Amino acid sequence: MGPLIPQGIITGDWDFVIALLLGIAFGFILEASGFSSSRNITGAFYGYNFVVLRVFFTAVLVAMIGLLYFDYMGWIAMDMLYILPTYLTPMILGSIIMGFGFVLGGFCPGTSYTAIAIGKIDAMVFTGGLFLGIFMFSETFPFFSDFYYSENMGNITISEMLGVSNEVFTFILVVVGLAAFWGTWIIEKRVRKNINPYKFD
Amino acid sequence: MNKNYIYLTLLMLILSGGLFFLPDRDNTKYSNPEDLMWSIVQPTRFVSTDAIAKMIIENDPTLELIDVRAADEYGGFSLQNALNMPLDSIVSDNYQEYLGIDGMNTVFFSNDDIKADQAWVIAKRLGFDNVYVMKGGLNCWMSTIIKPLEPEETASSEAFELYSFRKGASIYFTGNNIESSSESKKTTLNITRKKKQSVAEGGC
Amino acid sequence: MHVHELNPKRTAITLLIFTAVIIVGLITLKSPRLKFEQDVNKTLEMIALDEGYVYPYEIADVIEGKADTVLLVDLRNTFEFAKGNIPGSENISSVELLNEDNIERLNDLKNKDVCVVVYANNQLEANGPWMILRQLGFDNVKLLLGGYDYYKQWEGKLADSYGDDAFLRGAPKYDYKELANSTKVAGSENTPKRSTIKIARKKKTSVAEGGC
Repeated sequence: MGPLIPQGIITGDWDFVIALLLGIAFGFILEASGFSSSRNITGAFYGYNFVVLRVFFTAVLVAMIGLLYFDYMGWIAMDMLYILPTYLTPMILGSIIMGFGFVLGGFCPGTSYTAIAIGKIDAMVFTGGLFLGIFMFSETFPFFSDFYYSENMGNITISEMLGVSNEVFTFILVVVGLAAFWGTWIIEKRVRKNINPYKFD
Repeated sequence: MNKNYIYLTLLMLILSGGLFFLPDRDNTKYSNPEDLMWSIVQPTRFVSTDAIAKMIIENDPTLELIDVRAADEYGGFSLQNALNMPLDSIVSDNYQEYLGIDGMNTVFFSNDDIKADQAWVIAKRLGFDNVYVMKGGLNCWMSTIIKPLEPEETASSEAFELYSFRKGASIYFTGNNIESSSESKKTTLNITRKKKQSVAEGGC
Repeated sequence: MHVHELNPKRTAITLLIFTAVIIVGLITLKSPRLKFEQDVNKTLEMIALDEGYVYPYEIADVIEGKADTVLLVDLRNTFEFAKGNIPGSENISSVELLNEDNIERLNDLKNKDVCVVVYANNQLEANGPWMILRQLGFDNVKLLLGGYDYYKQWEGKLADSYGDDAFLRGAPKYDYKELANSTKVAGSENTPKRSTIKIARKKKTSVAEGGC
């Protein structure tokens, strides 16, 4: 049945409608998970709050398992899904920059919008910076373009690269994810014991 | 810590572990033999040599000709811009890249239409759409396009139109002039001829 | 503390719904009635081999009613079947071939080791249905080369058609290269030059002898 647009079940004109619905749902979940609070987000870097890791890991695991089952039941054709091409070094560099922005600003691009929605001034400044950065990058893109497109590994998935089946890789990731859940709870407990929360007078 | 999380952990493990125990299932689009049979009984998969000739002459960008004969036969003679994809290696990955390209119409041909039809059945089973068979194959190509038969004098004007198209195509493909001694006589006869509904075609 | 941890039931409920969807999906999963049993590579092998085909002279015995291990099946529609058919054949049109009754019958014939020879007007018409049956695992189904048209030509003296190979398809009828490059293409010449390619021929046998 799915994916709906590549299979020709609905036309590409529905792109924006679907994007809007998904965006609303995504924003709702981000806010409901407490992601509009910088403390929750940067907590992962200081070790007192791993909710970011847990929420995203849960989402990844559920999506992976769901996709595999749905593919099996013929509800979605997994080989028709778009896989982002991998540019190894540029992606590593990009994630380092993103991580710095993350821990310095206290938001990732998505959560900064949910934070704006609940009226946070720092998030507004953050998105201002975001657009400035996008503008600067676009203007200077010709200087980076060679690097940007270097080491293209194509539309490859990790299971293809490792040569294992999707099921095996999913199972391994589920085990790793669950171990991470329990591991981070233990870390949180230890770290929180030594924290003296700052109290506003 | 909540007990729920223990259950949730177990649930996830069971769900992901369950993936290993799913019995094999083929989910390709044409895995259903009934659908395949349905498209087999319809003659829509056949394309006439005239249509192909027209598309080649007009440089139709959506046309993808695939020669399913062996490589040495392909080396001897093939149609313009045809790819060679020997029938026995059609399943290999390097060849599958050429099938099912978006917006392309893939036309199989061989010496006649049996091999091409077999390739078509396989391609359809593998789930490729927009695949066709050139009716009559190269034998028909030779007898209709390269060496067209002059219609009987009593034939319909369509038959003569077709013949003149084929003669033009023949010149296009061979770079030669076809014997055209009695042409003028034929055209005068043409004008008086009544139009018939059916298009006369070379029998393939 | 965030909402999520205050209400751990929420996660449990969503995950239970997720599991329920998967379970319902798996239970309601219909396996298709018919399944391709034969691997695609095997199919390619099969169409290249002689084993799946029946030469016209091989069915001479069958027509005379000498062989009861062979069943001729006419894949054309009832109208064409009524106009003329090979004696002793049964009519199952391609459209109805995969109906439940017919599949059952084919299974039955397969279990009884009866060789099913399918034909239509020509080889091309019967090719698709034959390939499907083979891919469905009916290894007892063979394809009559030449088809009804060829039979009609040789009606009554089919056994004598041994020397003839007009029913063989796939060989070039012309020397393409020469024809495509010749400086002068004769438009009026209508006798196509038969190729001299010789196809290795089977020993003269009857399909009834070999079994399936």
